[in-house]
Amino acid sequence: MGIQALLAFAASNETQDLVTVGPWTLIFQICNLFIQVHLIKKYLFKPINDILEKRQNLADKAIKEAREAKEEADSLKDQYESSLTNAHSEAAQIVSDAQKEAQVKADAMVHEAQKEAADIKARAAADIEQEKKKAINEAKDEIGGLAMDIAGKVVEKEINENDHKKLIEDFISKVGA
Amino acid sequence: MSKEFSVVGPKIYATIHTGIPILGDINITETLVVTWIVMLIITGLCIFLTRDLKMENISKRQAFAEMLVEMGNNFVRNNTGGTKFDKLIPFVSALFVTSVVSNLISLIGLRSPTADLSTEAAWAIVVFIMITSTKIKTNGLGGYLKGFTTPIAVMTPFNILSELATPVSMACRHFGNILSGVVIDGLIYWALGLASSALLGLIPGVVGNFLSKIPILGVGLPAITGVYFDWFSGCMQAFIFCMLTVMYIANAAEEG
Repeated sequence: MGIQALLAFAASNETQDLVTVGPWTLIFQICNLFIQVHLIKKYLFKPINDILEKRQNLADKAIKEAREAKEEADSLKDQYESSLTNAHSEAAQIVSDAQKEAQVKADAMVHEAQKEAADIKARAAADIEQEKKKAINEAKDEIGGLAMDIAGKVVEKEINENDHKKLIEDFISKVGA
Repeated sequence: MSKEFSVVGPKIYATIHTGIPILGDINITETLVVTWIVMLIITGLCIFLTRDLKMENISKRQAFAEMLVEMGNNFVRNNTGGTKFDKLIPFVSALFVTSVVSNLISLIGLRSPTADLSTEAAWAIVVFIMITSTKIKTNGLGGYLKGFTTPIAVMTPFNILSELATPVSMACRHFGNILSGVVIDGLIYWALGLASSALLGLIPGVVGNFLSKIPILGVGLPAITGVYFDWFSGCMQAFIFCMLTVMYIANAAEEG
């Protein structure tokens, strides 16, 4: 039955033995294997590996580009930040300069104003002094004249005005002192 | 239904007389014809899978093809630990896919080329030559020959035997598994045929005679047993054969 049939070689013109190695079949199968290797290499591995490599390159390129773009953005950012900082400090500088200048100007103005005020005051004082002197002189003259008039009237005699002028002035100056 | 069960070898379709002494006549057997069919199927599939490849927005077909290639690459690279044996990838892949398709082609009623020892012997011889050439390349011819006398000279015959046992065991393991699948499938069909014949033969008259010729019980059960004996065994043996190929060659390159 079954097992016996399995063990017995089926001897027939039509079929090969069940367990045997046919030399030509062997050679053909070796050739078939190599042909198959070649076909599979040509039709599966080469195109797929090519496309995988291409995609790899594409991905690498994209990553590289992204990295470069990031670096560029970073450097731009740094640049902007530094220029912003510069602008800030420059603005602060300008403001402080302006403040200083304004301070200086204000000080100068105040100083000038003070000086002017002092000048005005001094001039006013001088004027006053002059006016005072003038007034005193006038008063002296007046008093001198008056005194002479009085003295003339008292003496009833024309006094030589010029002779006595000195005398009177001495008197007045003594009075004025 | 025949009362006898037998498993026969592959059919011989044509014989070409050559007159070459040892090799004998060229027999165009079922094995060769089905192998050619298998090769056509594989090559056609490869061409179909790699049609209009794209860089982006790939089709499912291309994704599958890429997955197969990646699987082949990873299989060889993982088992050899590096990219040193990348040249082997197409060979191992071809071996694997030919083996799997050959094993599974029995599902559509053809006789597996792998159910003929010649096929496995051919593959094993190729692998054996590759192993040996890798060993010679690694150690030099002197080193290779000296390797047989380790650890002591007395071991030489055993070393030679074990060297030769490699291809023999690889071939016979694969062949035995596939043939056992063929035999078991045959046995199951035969037994189920007998059973249905006996069962339906109980119906008297012409109807019973007619129905008993239909192996109706053969529907169902062989599909379940086939999952193991054809699908699992077929894929497993192909995997083992390729795994051993890669391992042996990787080992051959490592021996110092």
